[in-house]
Amino acid sequence: MIAKPVILRHLNKLRWLVLTSIFLMLVLLPFIHLYQTYVAAHAYDLLYPNEKLIYDSMEWLTAPFVSDAEHDLDVIKGTTWSGNLFGLQISDPLAVLSQISASLSIYWPFVLTALVPLVVTAVLGRVFCGWICPATFIYELNDTLAGWLRRAGVPLGDKEFDKRTKYLVLAVGLVLSMLLGSVVTAAIYPPAIIGRELYYAIAQGGFGVGAVFFILTILFDLLVARRGFCRYVCAGGALYSLLGRYRLLRIQRVVSQCNDCKKCNVVCEFGLDPLQDGFGQECNNCTACIAVCPTDALEFRIAIKDIPYQGPGHLGQTYRRAEKAEAES
Amino acid sequence: MRRRAFLKRFGAYAALIFAAATPYGLVRLLAPKVYADPHRHIPLPGALPDIDAFNRACIGCGLCGEVCPPRCVEFEKREGADGLNTPYIDPAKKACILCNKCMEVCPTDALTITPIREIDMGIAQIDRAACYPWVGEGICGACVAICPLGEEAIGFEFANIYKPAVREGCVGCGQCVEVCPEPSLPIWIVNRSEGTVAKHGVAARRRSY
Ligand code: SF4
Ligand code: SF4
Ligand code: SF4
Ligand code: SF4
Repeated sequence: MIAKPVILRHLNKLRWLVLTSIFLMLVLLPFIHLYQTYVAAHAYDLLYPNEKLIYDSMEWLTAPFVSDAEHDLDVIKGTTWSGNLFGLQISDPLAVLSQISASLSIYWPFVLTALVPLVVTAVLGRVFCGWICPATFIYELNDTLAGWLRRAGVPLGDKEFDKRTKYLVLAVGLVLSMLLGSVVTAAIYPPAIIGRELYYAIAQGGFGVGAVFFILTILFDLLVARRGFCRYVCAGGALYSLLGRYRLLRIQRVVSQCNDCKKCNVVCEFGLDPLQDGFGQECNNCTACIAVCPTDALEFRIAIKDIPYQGPGHLGQTYRRAEKAEAES
Repeated sequence: MRRRAFLKRFGAYAALIFAAATPYGLVRLLAPKVYADPHRHIPLPGALPDIDAFNRACIGCGLCGEVCPPRCVEFEKREGADGLNTPYIDPAKKACILCNKCMEVCPTDALTITPIREIDMGIAQIDRAACYPWVGEGICGACVAICPLGEEAIGFEFANIYKPAVREGCVGCGQCVEVCPEPSLPIWIVNRSEGTVAKHGVAARRRSY
């Protein structure tokens, strides 16, 4: 019996809070930029009524934090692809890797901006995918929608593909970046797409081609394969999986607590197999399985490797039947 | 039988690679190459001088746009699949005020901090067959009045006091283009190598670097 801190069950809620706030932040930032440009232009009286509305609401939201809106609000800028947080520059490792292969040279100040994500990934694995990625926010909502639709009797696809496809997507992207001389991975990487498309739509009046691609990925998830894009296609997810392969903190099953109810497998958005100790490099430590497990049989452990399959859960039918059979013989 | 197994495996890998390349093909199909009007697509200040080098370096993060006070930075949202999501400026819509912010924020070497007089976004060029004072349609000089670099970059011709002429010090920010009231836009930005400043024989003040 392992006494588990009750907080583990609530991590999934915390994760949702984080995902939601990051998404809302990405919506808010373009509005803040609009507001800053209005302030810079000193043209309040010339604004259209809807622009005035933006000005007033942003002023109301930000006034408690800044005195000089035009300049002070520059402290948070950008997206999860590359951004500025109070002077700390953070970029997606995929952006750095793709830029290196596109330009075939290394610009160190830029490479260093990926240091924080690299360290975090080394410790926590593909945690970006579960906790930060603004596309995950939408994809998980989409998955919930799919669940409702299925319950209502709408037939939706649930195909399985080869999970290794995404590593090839990553490799193809890096080679294409090299050949075409542009950072092509950004064009099919949902978190990069969402950040900039929100900016385009809000501050520049119109979505770009990325929005079309993103809608296609949503339809793919809905109609073809559950969470299919993250599981099979996402180049960034592939990179994070590789980087997080030997992560220190990983979710593991406590076999003595497990009752083989399979809830963890059903809830795992990445289609992993916690029931048979199949976490692997693709687990993003999202803790959805921890939250759903009725017997608290999943816990965090510090180790660089997964426990190999431990057999059926000791509270489950299979195990007890086997025990009984052994006792009788 | 071995051969069959081999073919099967080969087919599976081919399918896998095809599946991996599909998303990239999809995006290129969605964003067909459209050749942009060069007068309306000028580079950002401090940008790598070679457009291909710029496309290689820029990750399309949009930070330059997000800090620009006049909001003059636009992005190749559909036009140009190679430079997809890279920034440009359309000076006729909104011109750069040479504030340096985009160069400071750019995480890559696509934009690097450049002293104002060394910025090279191009050079203004005036169509003397359309500009109001040059065709004798009155007094204008809006371009001269607004230029942040003043006399070094644009001024009046010595004898023709109201006829504007571009000089060597122009950095191509495009404020003159934005302000020009003539609907046919007789002033625009061209690559420095294509400028006509020398041809017109205007007393050129050398750039001080
Ligand atoms: S220098 Fe300033 S005004 Fe010009 S493009 Fe950059 S941010 Fe905008
Ligand atoms: S800030 Fe730099 S890398 Fe980002 S879009 Fe602008 S030029 Fe490209
Ligand atoms: S002449 Fe025009 S483009 Fe050149 S620096 Fe002056 S305002 Fe800018
Ligand atoms: S603003 Fe336009 S019309 Fe006026 S002087 Fe300059 S180029 Fe000519």
